[in-house]
Amino acid sequence: AEALLQSMGISPDIPNGKDTHTHTPPHSSASEGNNRGNVMLPWDPDPCALQLHSDSELLGQGFRLGMAKVTQVDFPPKEMVSYSKETQTPADTQTHTQAKPEEEMADPKPAEDSQEEKADEEEKQEEVLPKELTEEEKMHLLNSEEFMAFFDRGSRIVERALSERVDVCFDYSGRDLEDREGEMQAGAKMSLSRVFSDERWSKNRVVTCLDWSPQYPELLVASYNSNDDAPHEPDGVALVWNMKYKKTTPEYTFHCQSAVMSAAFARFHPNLIVGGTYSGQIVLWDNRSNKRTSVQRTPLSASAHTHPVYCVNVVGTENAHNLISISTDGKMCSWNLDMLSQPQDSLELVFKQSKAVAVTSMAFPLGDVNNFVVGSEDGSLYTACRHGSKAGISDVFDGHHGPVTGLSCHSAGGPVDFSHLFISASFDWTVKLWTTKSTRPLYLFEDSCDYVYDVMWSPTHPALFACVDGSGRLDLWNLNNDTEVPSASVVVDGSPALNRVRWAHSGREIATGDSDGQVLVYDVGEKICVPKADEWTRFVHTLVEINENRDEGDELAAQRLLA
Amino acid sequence: MAEVEETLKRIQTHKGVIGTIVVNAEGIPIRTTLDNSTTVQYAGLLHQLTMKARSTVRDLDPQNDLTFLRIRSKKHEIMVAPDKEYLLIVIQNPSE
Repeated sequence: AEALLQSMGISPDIPNGKDTHTHTPPHSSASEGNNRGNVMLPWDPDPCALQLHSDSELLGQGFRLGMAKVTQVDFPPKEMVSYSKETQTPADTQTHTQAKPEEEMADPKPAEDSQEEKADEEEKQEEVLPKELTEEEKMHLLNSEEFMAFFDRGSRIVERALSERVDVCFDYSGRDLEDREGEMQAGAKMSLSRVFSDERWSKNRVVTCLDWSPQYPELLVASYNSNDDAPHEPDGVALVWNMKYKKTTPEYTFHCQSAVMSAAFARFHPNLIVGGTYSGQIVLWDNRSNKRTSVQRTPLSASAHTHPVYCVNVVGTENAHNLISISTDGKMCSWNLDMLSQPQDSLELVFKQSKAVAVTSMAFPLGDVNNFVVGSEDGSLYTACRHGSKAGISDVFDGHHGPVTGLSCHSAGGPVDFSHLFISASFDWTVKLWTTKSTRPLYLFEDSCDYVYDVMWSPTHPALFACVDGSGRLDLWNLNNDTEVPSASVVVDGSPALNRVRWAHSGREIATGDSDGQVLVYDVGEKICVPKADEWTRFVHTLVEINENRDEGDELAAQRLLA
Repeated sequence: MAEVEETLKRIQTHKGVIGTIVVNAEGIPIRTTLDNSTTVQYAGLLHQLTMKARSTVRDLDPQNDLTFLRIRSKKHEIMVAPDKEYLLIVIQNPSE
């Protein structure tokens, strides 16, 4: 270091001057050594000492440059340690609920102890009150009569409201118009309107009967037979569906222990639904009761029916009406709806005093309470009457080659009375048109390739009727247009066998039930189902033509026989 | 009892339904599908509102009574089916 300094031109003379003040060197020869020794002082590594010396030598000498040790220091960034604690319950509620007791706890703290206890108790009581209700009294409440009544009504209203999607607040200006569901099918012949099916109650069951309510045109009752996949569920189910609202669950659910083969709204009792079952019992359901089971049942005795009841019907007027039921052993009973413990009247339908008629379908002509038509399992058709000297079977018709599945009497009232006409459907793939005045059929409709399961005249159009068959086809025949082929036809998706068909009272809709438990409602196009004023007269002409054709056919057949 | 459960479940699983609450006459919830604090809030507020609505209807015409209450807001629709003793509250999101 000395050599370095000397090379830099710094002489150690200056410290000499200092040293002469401080030290008294004995001899100048040792001055160098002294110098050296004295020189030691400024090389004192102590920075403070260096500073002192350098300050004193500032007399025009300038700064003394010295070696400085450079120490490199590397400070790492200070780690900010933070904790994030997860809470098990949502932060909001936790703080909320914590805040409450904290507040309550905080408030009474300064107050007296008794107050604090009270506040705690109150708070606890408030918390405990709902708990007490829910645990102990909940069951009691939920099982009480008033709750059932309230819930039945309330849930029905809410379900309807839930299904309504009408948006009254919709803004046409700000957004594009949404796509409308359901295409406009003004010109179409038949369009599917609703499909009614219930996962629990109608699946795997066959729809055995349909009836529209005379009082509320939007209500439709459908009866179902047993569900083979669910042996613990009741065998017989009847569901009331509502067309008016978009909800997809039944309005009312009824069941009974035996499969329901026929069902009808009791015409003069708007709250009652009648069902004829497989066991022969006739059950009565009431929608005023909260129960789903029947409120009245006929007895299973020899005085009533012991065979399946395929036909039930309420005939008569408001003041004088009866429930008529016929079972497959030929027994016809008439009942008073107020008293189902025994029939008012019963009649054995036998043909020629020996053969009991196994009735599968029955129809009363419009306005008639005495005479009616029945179809049987062996394919024959009979007219019968209820009262009078000739009560029972009157005439037999040539009939079909297979069991008769459906019968319908002409019911469209108009300027001309066609109530002598009726149509029948059968397993022999045909529908036949008859008149009560003759035992031979008027016309044969042979368009189907499968069992025809049901047929029904339109209640408004005189020449229109519908039939359904086992291949899923629903046909509409307009006899004024064409008697060879149906005027409109639709095949149901999946081609299930269609078991029943029923026109709505308005004549604008058709309901059909299939073998999968579905009830399908179709809207019929106006062009087809709305009769024009001349339909009746046209139908008269059509009938005349049919008659002529038939007579010609008979003559030809007779000639061939003769020849 | 089972029918009540079945119906409640059916309503709850209906499209867009957020929650279902059954409240008694004192505003205390008996059955709910929402969490406790939300239920208590809804029950208390809607009970008061229903009482007010009912008294309004009856003040205007004493022969009249409240049958259904529907509150449509930007986000939800709250439907209340009131009765003498109970309230059935259903909250639905109608845009779904």
